[in-house]
Amino acid sequence: AALYFQAFLQMCNLPVRVVCRANAEYMSPSGKVPFIHVGNQVVSELGPIVQFVKAKGHSLSDGLDEVQKAEMKAYMELVNNMLLTAELYLQWCDDVTVEEITHPRYGSPYPWPLNRILSYQKQWEIRRKMKAIGWAGKSLEQVLEDVDQCCQALSQRLGTQPYFFNKHPTELDALVFGHLFTILTTQLTSDELCEKVKNYSNLIAFCRRIEQQYFEGHDKDSSSSATSRSAKRSLLR
Amino acid sequence: EVPVLISEDTVISQPAKILNFLRKQKYNADYELTAKQGADTLAYIALLEEKLLPALLHTFWVEAENYCSVTKPWFASRIRFPLSLYLPGRMSREALNRILLTRGGPPLYSLTEVEAQIYRDAKECLNLLSKRLGTSQFFFGNTPSTLDAFVFGFLAPLYKVCFPRVQLQEHLKQLPNLCRFCDDILSFYFRLGVSGHSPAGQDSVDANLQKLTQLVNKESNLIEKMDDNLRKSPQHPPRKLTTLKLAAGGGEGSPPSRLSP
Repeated sequence: AALYFQAFLQMCNLPVRVVCRANAEYMSPSGKVPFIHVGNQVVSELGPIVQFVKAKGHSLSDGLDEVQKAEMKAYMELVNNMLLTAELYLQWCDDVTVEEITHPRYGSPYPWPLNRILSYQKQWEIRRKMKAIGWAGKSLEQVLEDVDQCCQALSQRLGTQPYFFNKHPTELDALVFGHLFTILTTQLTSDELCEKVKNYSNLIAFCRRIEQQYFEGHDKDSSSSATSRSAKRSLLR
Repeated sequence: EVPVLISEDTVISQPAKILNFLRKQKYNADYELTAKQGADTLAYIALLEEKLLPALLHTFWVEAENYCSVTKPWFASRIRFPLSLYLPGRMSREALNRILLTRGGPPLYSLTEVEAQIYRDAKECLNLLSKRLGTSQFFFGNTPSTLDAFVFGFLAPLYKVCFPRVQLQEHLKQLPNLCRFCDDILSFYFRLGVSGHSPAGQDSVDANLQKLTQLVNKESNLIEKMDDNLRKSPQHPPRKLTTLKLAAGGGEGSPPSRLSP
């Protein structure tokens, strides 16, 4: 998710510096990361950040007509609905991944027993949400099927264009890039999720294009976080 | 669990599985769509579920006046006793749970704030649907597809059910193309004839009736012509009385038989 915001801000040509903090969730006004800190204002979450940037005179979707804006918002919901939920499912509902990767990573800034307590609490919270939306009963295969269906839809929509709305990137491009890049570069217990995305060559090309255009150039100027540097290395492999 | 499809010996629940089953039986409303239109379908369905569904759930199941005066009695009347005492309440609690888990949380701290946000989102979603539909009859041209069915499924109850608290319904009624869309589908696919058949069944009954009428007309025209020929031809002596008596005795209830050549 952090990558989506970084991509979005860089597409708007706004300079951005990424900093990692253990208590980030507590600093955020909504409890959710990431958030941006501009002057003496702190804004978190997708909708408010886009509004904030728009109020300052920067927007990526001004050139779209009404029907295209409707389409863009629909696709953004598809990505949130399918990809984000699938990522959360894999991180918090797949027992193997939870034990080997999520618990250690989430609890790493804290000493024992706080690390275990906080990560169990988060897991319980996510599982409740999954149950409410009907994902708790899904098997891993079904979740991967959903991811595949979503990627197929995105691939068909993108076609051979450079961006989803032809020549210029929009919030949708930033969002799709953020999620796909994370899926492609995050180490999990198995490669199945990654492989689903790799089936679609135009999506891979899309990610590389955005990475080269918006992240390589900026690397030299700003101090990028360790995550994006190591992530960059693995995608260009 | 509803909805449930029962086909011969097979029982299927959950919308996605029902759609898969129908596709395997070669019923597919999206056959004519392009790949991009298929992708758009998924995207718009996601939009409906994320932005419109919470407010719909709220209007039907959480808004106290609506729930107590309309939804609860309606559902309870269709569910067998004693489940009718328990299930509506459970569905209401599940709806509230879903709304709070998916849309609640900071910076929205009270139910009122969550409600305000979900209604704002729902109104925006309705506006987006209206812009997308424009002046077309259906979302992808002149024939309906899965997306039309989904949108109808979400909008029609909101449009037609008489609620005491109606803010979302009022907003929908200000979007004439969406209202027209619902009315069209209701009249094409849900109109019940006098016999209770669906219009598709009624059409085939009408067609058969028409064919039968044409056949009877042809026959009666033929009989009239034969009658004419008979009058014009030389007169034959009348038949013996005994034969007539037998014919009359045998066919009392039937209409008088004509003398055929």
